[in-house]
Amino acid sequence: MAEPLRVTRVGDGVYHVEHDGRSHIVYIAGSSGDLWAWTDGRVFRGDFGEAGDPPRRAARAIGPQALTAPMPATVVKVLVKAGDAVKKGDTVLLLEAMKMELAIRAPGDATVRAVYCREGELVQPETTLIDLQ
Amino acid sequence: MIKRLLVANRGEIALRIIRACRELGVESVAVYSEADARAPHVAAADRAVPIGPAPAVDSYLSIPRLLDAARAEGADAVHPGYGFLSENAAFAGACERAGLVFVGPPASVIAQMGSKIAARTLMQKAGVPVVPGETPEDQTDDGLHRMVERVGLPVLVKASAGGGGKGMRRIRDAAEIGDAIQAARREAAAAFGDGTLYVERLVEHPRHIEVQVFGDHHGRIDHVFERECSVQRRHQKIIEESPSPALSPAVRERIAAAAVTAARAAHYRNAGTIEFLLDGSGDAAQFYFLEMNTRLQVEHPVTEAVSGIDLVRAQLLVASGEPLPWTLGSLTQRGHAIEARVYAEDPARGFLPQAGRLLLCREPRRPGVRVDAGVAEGSDVSVYYDPMLAKVIASAETRDAAIVRLSAALQEYPILGIRTNIPFLLRILAHPRFQAGTVDTGFLDGDGAALAEGGDDTPPAFLQAAIDMHRQSPAGGRTAGTGAAATAFDPWRTLGAWGR
Repeated sequence: MAEPLRVTRVGDGVYHVEHDGRSHIVYIAGSSGDLWAWTDGRVFRGDFGEAGDPPRRAARAIGPQALTAPMPATVVKVLVKAGDAVKKGDTVLLLEAMKMELAIRAPGDATVRAVYCREGELVQPETTLIDLQ
Repeated sequence: MIKRLLVANRGEIALRIIRACRELGVESVAVYSEADARAPHVAAADRAVPIGPAPAVDSYLSIPRLLDAARAEGADAVHPGYGFLSENAAFAGACERAGLVFVGPPASVIAQMGSKIAARTLMQKAGVPVVPGETPEDQTDDGLHRMVERVGLPVLVKASAGGGGKGMRRIRDAAEIGDAIQAARREAAAAFGDGTLYVERLVEHPRHIEVQVFGDHHGRIDHVFERECSVQRRHQKIIEESPSPALSPAVRERIAAAAVTAARAAHYRNAGTIEFLLDGSGDAAQFYFLEMNTRLQVEHPVTEAVSGIDLVRAQLLVASGEPLPWTLGSLTQRGHAIEARVYAEDPARGFLPQAGRLLLCREPRRPGVRVDAGVAEGSDVSVYYDPMLAKVIASAETRDAAIVRLSAALQEYPILGIRTNIPFLLRILAHPRFQAGTVDTGFLDGDGAALAEGGDDTPPAFLQAAIDMHRQSPAGGRTAGTGAAATAFDPWRTLGAWGR
């Protein structure tokens, strides 16, 4: 069932693929568990499994109750404190990045266990800002 | 002639201005914030001065810091680019008082055109069409009713005191007039403490047409044709082109003449743009003055592509007191050019701005394609500034050919490490309404809204084979694209003397 497929490396992170009588250029960058690939104007990101496995998207290993910043941003407002009960969809934090305000919402009903950021602080992606339980 | 120019901007426009300086033998002085110490525009200039911390208000928007930098480096002129302080009359005035040539119009012109009311009044007096509307003295129901009839349906009734959609009513049918006036008045009074209403003709499916104008110190004013910028998302232009597919030859001639009249009325000097709303199509289309941009536009390259004029070079010559570098009325509009703006944002996630390092970034090269980029492979995109990374401009004999060429170029512009809007741009270019040239400014909020959704995100079958080989290659599995081998494709390297 596998179609004949030929891959040639043509440069750093650049591959030429012949498949089904058509050729494509594939650009690849990133680290092993978080690869980025570009081909024909489409972009894909993931860990792309081990050789031969079907590709799948990277699952970010964050606890279901840890709220993180999606990008480097400034904390504009902290709307909860430890011990507060929050409902799914409640805004708990306001961030600002690139002149855009961004609301961080509770993913489910929970209690705030701890707040790890202050208003005015510059936060990095993937760092935990608020723990819910 | 200007000898040393301070470029009071960053990113692709700073690089664009520095390139023009090189060609004219003008020394360039870049300025940069702490976040931009390694930015391409800093490396490209003859000199570079740090002007403060990352937030723009303390650096690129700080008039005292910019003037200090100009003084310390012995600059005799300042180019503001677009954005930041480019339409700030106080900055232009401060430059004038400091004895610096401001590459743009006089401060008084910036101030006048910066006031919507003053600009509208000036244009009305000069005979340039404006959107019909006024605040009637008689604010009774009857008075407003008469004004609605005079302006002609459909109309927009809105609070005279404020904006933001409060106290705003669209009236399309004469039967709605009475109720709409009362509702608008109630809302206006509640929101602004003032129930005074303004009545304006509602343009239902407006298209954004603008005309490039240029004036010199010798009383010459000319236009360099129109651009259409109707592909917008939340008033942010995304794709621009010249010529406009919406204008008939007769309307094209009238709108260009109106733009020259407008520029003359403003006593305009240097490069500027008159923006119009276009209502309707064919020879019956009406256009109305919207505003004047007293600066170089982001989308100036499409005008350069169809006219053959280097607008930035012309700006520097005219600012130095030289006449317009072409004979009045001698320009022709040749072929078709389309520009797409590449933004660091994720259309699939509400256009969330993206920040991070460009692990891989290779610019397309093909005939008829120009890339004006402010970033290169290895650049860090920060959260501090506008997320526009680059502009890709394709020109060809016809509009159809330009669309095909631009799509091909965007497909060959891999940017990895952050998400960009390139897949979104490709979907717009492929949309039947864009291809038919019938897009109005509401397109991306209406028919085109679904284009933001990422289509199929299943990787093609052949992708895994390339990834497997990548993992086996020496650089694979680690970060590719930032090592020494990457410079084989590094656009900065191939710029040679122009780039450094």
